[in-house]
Amino acid sequence: MAAINLHSVSVEFPVYNVNARSLKKEFLRLATGGTVREDENHRVIISALNDISLTISHGDRIGLVGHNGSGKSSFLRLLASIYEPTRGKIDIQGHISPMLDLMPGIEMELTGYENIFIRGTLLGLTRTEINKQTQEIADLTGLGDFLTMPTRTYSSGMLVRLAFAISSQIKPDILLIDEIFGTGDASFIQTAKERMINLLDQSSIVVMATHSDGLIKEFCNKTLLLEGGSVKYFGDTETALALYHGEEVLTETAS
Amino acid sequence: MESIFSPATSYETDTVSDNNKPFNIKKEQRRLALKDIIDGIIKWRVWLLISYLDVKLRYRRSSLGPFWITISMAITTYSMGYLYSHLFHINLQIYFPYLVAGMLSWTLISTQVTDLTEALSSSEGLIKQIKLPYTIYIHKIAARNIIIFFHNIIVIIPILAIFHEVAKVNFNTLLLIPGLFVIYVNSISFGLILGMIGARYRDIVQIIKSLIQVAFFLTPIMWSPDILPAKDRLIAVLNPLYCLVELIRAPLLGMTPTLLTICVSALVTVIGIAYSFVMFAKHRSRIIYWL
Repeated sequence: MAAINLHSVSVEFPVYNVNARSLKKEFLRLATGGTVREDENHRVIISALNDISLTISHGDRIGLVGHNGSGKSSFLRLLASIYEPTRGKIDIQGHISPMLDLMPGIEMELTGYENIFIRGTLLGLTRTEINKQTQEIADLTGLGDFLTMPTRTYSSGMLVRLAFAISSQIKPDILLIDEIFGTGDASFIQTAKERMINLLDQSSIVVMATHSDGLIKEFCNKTLLLEGGSVKYFGDTETALALYHGEEVLTETAS
Repeated sequence: MESIFSPATSYETDTVSDNNKPFNIKKEQRRLALKDIIDGIIKWRVWLLISYLDVKLRYRRSSLGPFWITISMAITTYSMGYLYSHLFHINLQIYFPYLVAGMLSWTLISTQVTDLTEALSSSEGLIKQIKLPYTIYIHKIAARNIIIFFHNIIVIIPILAIFHEVAKVNFNTLLLIPGLFVIYVNSISFGLILGMIGARYRDIVQIIKSLIQVAFFLTPIMWSPDILPAKDRLIAVLNPLYCLVELIRAPLLGMTPTLLTICVSALVTVIGIAYSFVMFAKHRSRIIYWL
């Protein structure tokens, strides 16, 4: 059973190349982003996530919404164990696969096939597992013979196809997705969507950050609305989206 | 409307307060650091593959490929050996093999130091994207330099043929294997420290690069400790870098490292492992925020 438990988790990080004294005033006036403060050593500290407590249980499909800098990516990195909480406790059961940023890890000088192999190894697959899946991945990319060429010859859309096909190949318990339906042409988006639905169905827990209301309404049974690194609302998707778009909602008192 | 959590309606408050006790955190950090180190070793396939590709990639579009490493090493060491034996009026028979073997050894150690300082900061993209043990990135660089060393080592073969009276192939040559193992262990432990410092303070990389140049002249590589007066010789011989260089140089010439060299190397290794573990346990969770 996959499950995620957060007990009043906060994530704060220092920013080293900023002089706190000179930038403090302007920083504090910023509307977006986490709260910025200065610590005792005059370093600039950003609290990306603030005292978050919630439980995500088996079968949950969570949509993650919020303005730019509200902490969506930090939240996903926290769930991916990339960020460790500065305070509080996080408890995750199940194998996690992050699809946060597809591009890093693609080596431009290597061919498509070689990249499939590296990525598979990085994600913890064995040689035989990769060999078994290579054909399937190759079909999904729809790149044909281009896979034998160095990826530096690819267009950006082709790169997305490759990266997505490789990443979607692993079958995790918990799937984390950060805004990936950006590029790619119509036909690929269609295949990718089918692939995603397949992947979503196989995963026990999905947490998906996106700006597309349609996707959230279609897939998610719950929605988490973040604002300035804190939970503004967690629960019913309709209410969360309404709140996010600034509409007056009757159930607002509930949050 | 099944689950709406406000931060106030927390649950299992006991668990929360339990885990905020400081001694628990320290113990937990030590456990996580150890887990990272062990996972790093278990995932050897990952770092061996990426370090191998790293070498391959660098020479992808050149016809000789990685053997450019060997060729450029041969050009450097052979010309240095010839030039300096004439400049210093030393017997070519003795000096040439000594310098070439010393340079092979030094190149391995110095590139380990400079590359490992950037080990974590250069892998930023991957570290922020996939959760892998931090030690994997250290292994990746350390293994890459060992692979390069095996390309370089070909340079010694003509020397063994031409200067066979000084540089011999015998049972002592096999000591190369434990020697390389000790170098590798030290690369991981000191590399972890250097990598963390390099990630936190970006100027360190430049400082290390200049210091390693100075160390090259201070360490007996181009010169032998025998040219020093007896009382100064001990200082040169106790130099940990000299001892590590000797672990490779002596077997390459068919000799055994001295007992003193082995003792100093062992001491350095133990200190390195202990210190790096303490540092890693203390700072591991912060590394991501330094990148």
